[in-house]
Amino acid sequence: MKDKELDQIIEKSFSDLPDFHLSADFAQRVTRTIVQRGQWKTDLIEYLSITGILVFLLTIASGTYYLVNKELLLQIFTFVSQNVVPVILIVFLLNFILFTDRVLLRLLFSRWNRT
Amino acid sequence: MQLFSANGCQTSSMNDSELINQILNGNMNAFTFLVNRYQKLVVHITGRLIQRQDELEDVCQEVFMKVYQNLGKYRNECKLSTWIATIAYNTSINYLRKFKKGVEVNPDDSVALRNMADYGSADYEQTDLHRYIREQIEKLPVEYLTVITLFHLEEFSYQEIEQITGMPEGTVKSYLFRAKAILKEKLKFVVDQESLKMMKDITNER
Repeated sequence: MKDKELDQIIEKSFSDLPDFHLSADFAQRVTRTIVQRGQWKTDLIEYLSITGILVFLLTIASGTYYLVNKELLLQIFTFVSQNVVPVILIVFLLNFILFTDRVLLRLLFSRWNRT
Repeated sequence: MQLFSANGCQTSSMNDSELINQILNGNMNAFTFLVNRYQKLVVHITGRLIQRQDELEDVCQEVFMKVYQNLGKYRNECKLSTWIATIAYNTSINYLRKFKKGVEVNPDDSVALRNMADYGSADYEQTDLHRYIREQIEKLPVEYLTVITLFHLEEFSYQEIEQITGMPEGTVKSYLFRAKAILKEKLKFVVDQESLKMMKDITNER
């Protein structure tokens, strides 16, 4: 009899909730941390991509200058220096397209999803 | 990555696969809902194993980070709760191995009994039996605590416990049996008939 009673008591104790708890906003904090960590990675990847593109363009330019055709590169520089205003306008236009694609559209999408 | 407002997503009635799809599509509100749904499971497993309230939030956060990072790899081969429990178990065991050197991975009943023996009958008279049993449960070796929590508290089947812990079904059954035997052995020393009756009354009231 005593054995059975002990068994019952022990089994009931096994099902007792342990005295451990998390803070009330635990789920929100985990999500926030994940978003922040994810954002950091996204920013880093974007930075590395842009740096990579710039390094790639510089490599092509210097490769052309030293290995392929010095004259060609000098001609390009001359063309650019003689057409500064149109070149700057094109660069601005490309920059605006990049800004719209990477920043404005994302912002609009996130606002649209919230509503 | 986008953080949606809590009102912007109807997650309360979602089943697990819908929830996973939402999370994989970048709905972080769905992930918050998943954390709320499974945090009790994780806190029970992790709390029981690491036994430290001050470290609990960090370890639980690590568990859910892993859940988020690996959610794309989850296949419906087992229940989501089993999968999350596996991550919680492995994370807790890694924590114990890292920060609590000398933790018993292969339980030894004699050590468990010795640990319990430091709690004498005189002490028992000053405390209540129920709390005493709970304290004794927390003193059991890690593997015993794991199977007790998964089987009795979270009501996983033997097969699911095998999936979570990697222990063969026979070992799981053996640990459950031996955990009970250890507690009984100890309780026999301290429980008299009168207090046993009192304890029965208390447990029946709950």
